[in-house]
Amino acid sequence: MIQRITGLSLCAFLASAMAPGLAVADNSDADAPELSYTTVLSDLKDPWDMAFLPDGTMFFTEKCHGLSVRLPSGDVNPLLGMEDTEDYATTADDLFCHGQAGMNGVAVDPDFDDNRYVYVYSASRITPLHKNRVIRLTVNDDFSDVSDRTDIVEDIPYKQTESDHPFGDAGAHNGGRIRFNPGDGYLYVTTGDNHDGEIPQHPTRLGGKVLRIDRDGNAASDNNPPDGFNQRIFTYGHRNVQGIAFHPDTHETFVAEHGPWHSDEVKVLENGGNAGWDPRPNVGGRGDCPDHYCGYMPDQMEGMDPEERRAFMPMTDTERFPDAIRPAWDNDKKSQGMSSAEFLTGSQWKGWEGKMVVGFLGIGFGDTPIGQRLDLLDIAEDRLSVDVTTMSVPMGPARFRSVVQGPDGDLYVAVDEGEIYQITPE
Amino acid sequence: MKRQMALIIGTALTLVMAQAQAEDISAGEAIYTQSCAHCHGGSGQGMGSFPSIAGQDADYIAKRLTQYRAGEKVGPNTPLMAPMATDLSDDDIADLAAYISTTFE
Repeated sequence: MIQRITGLSLCAFLASAMAPGLAVADNSDADAPELSYTTVLSDLKDPWDMAFLPDGTMFFTEKCHGLSVRLPSGDVNPLLGMEDTEDYATTADDLFCHGQAGMNGVAVDPDFDDNRYVYVYSASRITPLHKNRVIRLTVNDDFSDVSDRTDIVEDIPYKQTESDHPFGDAGAHNGGRIRFNPGDGYLYVTTGDNHDGEIPQHPTRLGGKVLRIDRDGNAASDNNPPDGFNQRIFTYGHRNVQGIAFHPDTHETFVAEHGPWHSDEVKVLENGGNAGWDPRPNVGGRGDCPDHYCGYMPDQMEGMDPEERRAFMPMTDTERFPDAIRPAWDNDKKSQGMSSAEFLTGSQWKGWEGKMVVGFLGIGFGDTPIGQRLDLLDIAEDRLSVDVTTMSVPMGPARFRSVVQGPDGDLYVAVDEGEIYQITPE
Repeated sequence: MKRQMALIIGTALTLVMAQAQAEDISAGEAIYTQSCAHCHGGSGQGMGSFPSIAGQDADYIAKRLTQYRAGEKVGPNTPLMAPMATDLSDDDIADLAAYISTTFE
């Protein structure tokens, strides 16, 4: 058994290293920086996201615990705890975790020095039908507590119950990344389809969307969704977006999105655009599907050729939606849990400056290699293709949940195993 | 009588030792590291939407793996677990159950 697994893994590694379009991974080319790493925090429980102040102060979330802050001194202050937590300065008993949901993204207001605002995305039980909320908090002067909770978005769908799908537990496909675009100052909120076939193309239900709002939760004034859509919607027709990053020069919005047993996708968003995901039954040549969601069909229980899957249930359906936003990259038609994205800036990154980092959690289903890694994407001018380099990660593979560049220019990486690492280019 | 008792005890000890040898914890560790740790974590703590298996006894682990191997739907992650269990032998399952139940708390 052991020999068989090892053999398979070796084959998978060789196959992935030799596949067209996949760079053989290492940092050995002349333009690549040497990398070292430091463990910033360890023994965390499902760290999910980070956000920095210019002095290195780092806010971070743990999915089932809450929001904390690490000060430049290294001290950590627990700020906002979820239900059943202790030792947080403030506790909100309505905030809960289940499956993929919990306290997910965190963002710092661009005018933090003036308003002391920080934002989190979390599941909440305030209403009988549980929702995800974007919550604004005011941080006190010594970073020991938060106050003035204001829920600026209260109606992002949360998957209420288990369904007959892979990852089918409640809380699935929950989105959750939040980021301010330095180009326009708006907060972008990524959501998921909840394994609900109707949600992604629905004009008013906020799952399967990217929202674009101001710090009070109002729609950006120039959002341009189709008639009848909620004005907070920037783009729709998404599956489960957990990565969003803005080009450092143009401020274009790029997302990284989990694929349906095939085709993780990176694409540049167009205001009001349709990303082309529509897993409803009885459309696109498909019939009935388990629990009214075709997202893993035609066979959601066993591995099969990703190309066949794509033909049956495309991630971006350009036949039914000719104007759908085309992906720049589809992870070579594989789905491996592409979660977070960030552009690298600064000459310390040498040949990687300006490239996008995407992190993979890793999903080994069927013949697809698990693929836990950090990839660097050099995105073409037309945003329709990429060159890929795989980083030789100094601390080894892990479930890479969040990648954020710190104010020092280093890359901070949160992994589900419980660490936040700092990767330094030399 | 004493001789008979010694014989019974000796036989029982032999059976216990044989059972211990049948469950090869180091083999279970190797399988776990290769196939399980990237979802359930290096100490069985669970990660993301993958559950903790720390603290589960060997019977529970073996029963679940046997169900997955048989193609039974056990829970929402069955499509992910079933392929992992398909090729496990009875010995593999016993080894994994022994390793998980004796190592993770």
